Amino acid sequence: MAAVEKEVAGRNGIVIRRREYDSDTPGYRTYEVYQRERVGESTEKIKPIQLVSDDYRRNPYPLLEILRENYPCYRDWLANSYWITQYNDVTSIFADEANFEARPKTYFYHIEEFGKDLGNELAVLTAEANCIEEHTGAVATNIASELAAKGSGDLATEFAARFAIDLLAKRYGIADEDIAEFGARYWRMQRGTSWEPRLQNDGIMAINELVNYFKPIVEARKSDPGPDMVSAMAELGASAEDVVKTLLEGDHETLHGALANLWYLLLMHPAEFEKAQSERRLMKLAYLETLRHSTPVISADRFARHEVERFGKLVPEGARLICSAAAANRDPRIFNDPDKFIVDRRDMCQREPRGQYRADGLASGITFSLGKPSVHPAVPEDRPMSRYAITRDTAVSASMTLLEHIDNLQIAEGASPHLISLTVGEMHTCWKLPVTFTKK
Amino acid sequence: MSTYSFLDDMAGTAEQDFSQPKEFPLMPEGEAVDMGHAADGTPLFDPRILDSPEFFRNPYPYYKILRDHYPVYHDKLHNTYWVTRYDDITECYFDDEGFNTIPKGSSSGVLGNTQLELSGVEHRRRRNLYGQHLVGQSLNHRIPAIEHLAEEMIDHWDTMAAEGSDYVKDEDGKRVVELGMAFANEFPIRVVCEVLGFPKEAQSQFFYWYNSMMTGLGGSDTHKQGVEARQDLEDYVAGIVEERRKEPTYLYDHEGNPISKDVISKLCETRVDGDFLSTEEITSNIALVVGGGGETTRGAILNMWTLLLRHPEQFQAVLDDEENWDKAFHETLRIASPIGGQPRHNTFDVEMHGVKVPAGSLMQMVDFSANHDDRIFKDPETFDIFRDDLYSGKLLRSGFRKEGKCSHMAFGVGPHLCPGAWISHQEAVVGSKILEKRMKNPRIREDMMPKDIDGESPAPMGIVSVRALWLEYDLD
Repeated sequence: MAAVEKEVAGRNGIVIRRREYDSDTPGYRTYEVYQRERVGESTEKIKPIQLVSDDYRRNPYPLLEILRENYPCYRDWLANSYWITQYNDVTSIFADEANFEARPKTYFYHIEEFGKDLGNELAVLTAEANCIEEHTGAVATNIASELAAKGSGDLATEFAARFAIDLLAKRYGIADEDIAEFGARYWRMQRGTSWEPRLQNDGIMAINELVNYFKPIVEARKSDPGPDMVSAMAELGASAEDVVKTLLEGDHETLHGALANLWYLLLMHPAEFEKAQSERRLMKLAYLETLRHSTPVISADRFARHEVERFGKLVPEGARLICSAAAANRDPRIFNDPDKFIVDRRDMCQREPRGQYRADGLASGITFSLGKPSVHPAVPEDRPMSRYAITRDTAVSASMTLLEHIDNLQIAEGASPHLISLTVGEMHTCWKLPVTFTKK
Repeated sequence: MSTYSFLDDMAGTAEQDFSQPKEFPLMPEGEAVDMGHAADGTPLFDPRILDSPEFFRNPYPYYKILRDHYPVYHDKLHNTYWVTRYDDITECYFDDEGFNTIPKGSSSGVLGNTQLELSGVEHRRRRNLYGQHLVGQSLNHRIPAIEHLAEEMIDHWDTMAAEGSDYVKDEDGKRVVELGMAFANEFPIRVVCEVLGFPKEAQSQFFYWYNSMMTGLGGSDTHKQGVEARQDLEDYVAGIVEERRKEPTYLYDHEGNPISKDVISKLCETRVDGDFLSTEEITSNIALVVGGGGETTRGAILNMWTLLLRHPEQFQAVLDDEENWDKAFHETLRIASPIGGQPRHNTFDVEMHGVKVPAGSLMQMVDFSANHDDRIFKDPETFDIFRDDLYSGKLLRSGFRKEGKCSHMAFGVGPHLCPGAWISHQEAVVGSKILEKRMKNPRIREDMMPKDIDGESPAPMGIVSVRALWLEYDLD
């Protein structure tokens, strides 16, 4: 089907730019097709407004359970969306690019023409993997030793969030004195994809500031490249806009959110903490179990590329499907005792899952923002590991480094840490985790 | 304090309450809550306002922000594109294949398959099946029946007063009436029943089905009740339809002469594609007529009387010249339409006002906002039945735009223009003319009127029509 751009000035002089297909489809549904939509489903066990409430922001799991166990493909009229909540359904959508598309963050910003995402260029991927490998140890050690010297601190902001920012800054070759400002702009830009107008407005300003910030840097790297990602991009002829676009489209929540949630869960479950700190392999399992039990990115949107019949429903073209990892990861059809945090779970795969989120026949927790786990039986040797694997190893390394520096770690007296999303749609994580410890 | 203070700031916002209604204070009518500004001064628009009580009572200043600054507003919270300018909406409405009504709407479960959700040729041929019975000559034939129903209902007020009704009370030579409960709520439903050809004894049951179906629309909490009411209606109608298939029934004028077959009897003998309509098809269309013909006309009657009585000089003009009722009707629907708008889905990727809208997106056409668009109607917040920029003739003209006059958008425009527009107009005007003759010196009992949330000032019409209209008039 060839798409034809056509500009139509309507009878009122309103310009509507249309993309028309030279297909023989009528452009509208026929009577016969829509007959099957006849029976209205009553979904009285939940109100759509609950799914954008403070309750949902704090603890989405009870509400998601109602959906998963009653309305696995829930038509949410308020959010004009379909909620997909069972594990197998979510993974099936995620793997089905023929029928469902992800939209770039620039779509939500209405700046589709802005920059080019170079994040999946081999040279950029390689630079990213190399930077992470080179800097993880030093960044983690720096943070852990600073913390250790204090005797108390906040693992959410001073460890998890800071580690993610510092490592990101290293990947982009940001000078140390610029990191605080860079991190703030980066966060403002990421949060600007929200539905919230102040965040949107702030985000657009942050994008402009970041473009201006990167302009001279990109120029400088062209003549004097370093090992960082910006140099790799500059070598590909990137502009500052391309760098910012790549920065925007990259995952921004998983490393931070998973680390914060991992430490929150470990501290809330001392017996599991005991297991996890005994060896690196078990810490890795704790990380994987965290992504399942309390995944930071609780849902991702997919849009139907065309009308498709799935989940007993006719899903219309353009429909938004809210794929809920939080609901899927607690699906009792897949995981026993899904609400329990069990580091050495036997019903979850212990290595990077292939294909539709399974390895060795076992499911893993769904994590969206890192992309799909690799579908190859093994990643070719000339390519870096998948982001999924890199992030996992990085989080585990940082956690082990922290344990090398501190002892007797516990939640500060009187604190009641919990998970929460800042606004509906943002990551579900622990924002305050005050702890006390002794220096090792 | 951590190394990066912005992290502490963000973490600090986590515990703020964010739930929808709490955020928005109630404003004086016509003024919008400050939702923030961009650096260049453009007001920001927070989509949560659309679910707030503030918006329901005071929508127009918010629509003005959208019209002036975000004519195609991408609301990510509701996954919707709001289209708010008169010209844009007209454009989309006329192109019913580019902006179609395929059944992603929430009404289908309750109303069933109706032409509300069809497009193109499929829509045209079904719409005319019953649409033809609600216009022109066949409508004129029915006006005496409508008049008769109105007289009958007003006659009944004496009995209500005598029986101690809450809604009709006599005191000191005056009568106090709640026009909604005593007249406007039920009148349109009765007209619909009459035109469709339902037995009189079924009318109160109809009123219940109607209410349940209406509250069950929009995927609301009462959706289940709506679906059940629809099933009851379907069971009932199925029986009637079977009877009418064997033996058609007729409408009669006030002298008892048959005017024409009633709508159900007509539908029973209608063929599409050579085949008779199924009972399901007939029921769905009846559900739509019942649904479409109730709340809307009720709102029009109550809003019109409220506005006229609050503008006595304009009420006097209507009393002086009956022809002015048409003007009052149109201006009422412009300033306080009972229906907010219609959803559309774009068949193609489109770009309007620089906003790219991917194919299949929900685009809400806000008729409310179109009717208050000051690009079309000068001083849109002023009620003026004599305004010279509104087409307000005896017959509604869809999409009229000539010599500086435009038709209002309350019935939509284009192929999906409300097929009940003309009968609704007649009900409101005919009913009001009779009401006006039967009530001497009517005035609003402001002390009894529904109050705004402050408990004192009168409730704004907002996006729901007047909930109750307490009138007082002199008995002879």
